[in-house]
Amino acid sequence: MSTPTVDEALPASRADPDAERVAAALAADLDDGFAELVRTYQGLVFAVALRTTGHRADAEDLAAEALLRAYRSLADHRATDQGASWLRGLAVRPWLLTIVVNTRRNQVRDAARRPRTDGATLPEEPVPGPSVEERAEHAETTGQLASLLARLPETQRTAVVLRHVTDLPLAEVAEVLGCPVGTAKSHVSRGLARLRTLITDPSGETP
Amino acid sequence: MNATDPVLAGLAGLAPTDTPDLTDRLFDAWLTADSLLGPVRVASTRDGISFLRTTAEFSEDDFRAAYRRRVGRPLRPTDAVPDGLEAALHGEATAAPRLDLLGLTDFQRDVLAATRTIPAGETRPYAWVAAEVGRPRAVRAAGTVLATNPVPLLIPCHRVVPSATGAGAGIGRYIFGVSAKQRLLAAEGAAIATAPAPEEGPAR
Repeated sequence: MSTPTVDEALPASRADPDAERVAAALAADLDDGFAELVRTYQGLVFAVALRTTGHRADAEDLAAEALLRAYRSLADHRATDQGASWLRGLAVRPWLLTIVVNTRRNQVRDAARRPRTDGATLPEEPVPGPSVEERAEHAETTGQLASLLARLPETQRTAVVLRHVTDLPLAEVAEVLGCPVGTAKSHVSRGLARLRTLITDPSGETP
Repeated sequence: MNATDPVLAGLAGLAPTDTPDLTDRLFDAWLTADSLLGPVRVASTRDGISFLRTTAEFSEDDFRAAYRRRVGRPLRPTDAVPDGLEAALHGEATAAPRLDLLGLTDFQRDVLAATRTIPAGETRPYAWVAAEVGRPRAVRAAGTVLATNPVPLLIPCHRVVPSATGAGAGIGRYIFGVSAKQRLLAAEGAAIATAPAPEEGPAR
């Protein structure tokens, strides 16, 4: 199984081109700046949410919840003496996606503690393949590759989604996962390798 | 190269192209409206009115900062006036705009709900409110809830007064000051004590 080449360094062109503008807008006015942040990053946030939840409605809920958490965090930091310098140094994109990933982790953990009775499901890790009903219901958003992706262990799935669905630089993937770049690279590689195995034999690799 | 790898190309194709705009869902809206107490700023969620303060007591920055602290949601201006708001702000007893009171404890919610049932032209003692919510000894706590009422005028906390025990009892405190409370009660035709005691707390 060959591993694809992954960029090692972070060329300047790959760095977040919007971070400076959004941080400046947030510094000028929190609410106006937050509107700018939402406009700039909601596509990315939603993409990560959709590919980690697998369901459009859940993804919207997750994206909205994560963005509100981000807002509250911004408000809290702003209220401190170090708020301005914190904001200047903030790498907005990985910071925001870290909140998405953590919010998702909390949702899954809470759901495991108190099982929902409304019939809705939160895929646990590792996730079994979708039921026939789910397959039909979410056909438009969940192709075969997406459902195989959902079967990866959480960290590998997150790494693959960030790196290859949303095209995040490896350095930022590492920041979101809270690990060294080399470790992030290995999560991506292992996730891809597992995905390729699943593609070859979807019935194998028991959850 | 990545571009020719079908798996990587497939993954790149999983990025949704039709992202919903979450702005409406994330932002609450605020506007300025006229009231019996002069201009007020009013914030609303998608489900109802969530916060109200006079422009005299709260600058725009104060208002937005207070909302941020209490509710933790961003605000943006709007021109859309919530149904029933203007009528309610001018004292029409039948106007009952939808409210969406966020971030409250059950006790706070109960106190505000009980207070909302007091008809115009009437008053109730703080002790009545406490008894009404099943916490007859929590008179002072009920007074504190009313002192931080998110939506004064719409939930008529001005109709809650100290127990009527003589002229010295006064009409108690009000979030926008005792004279505003007097004006509102007079406008509603409520029988109020004539000698105010501005610094008095809730009755015991």
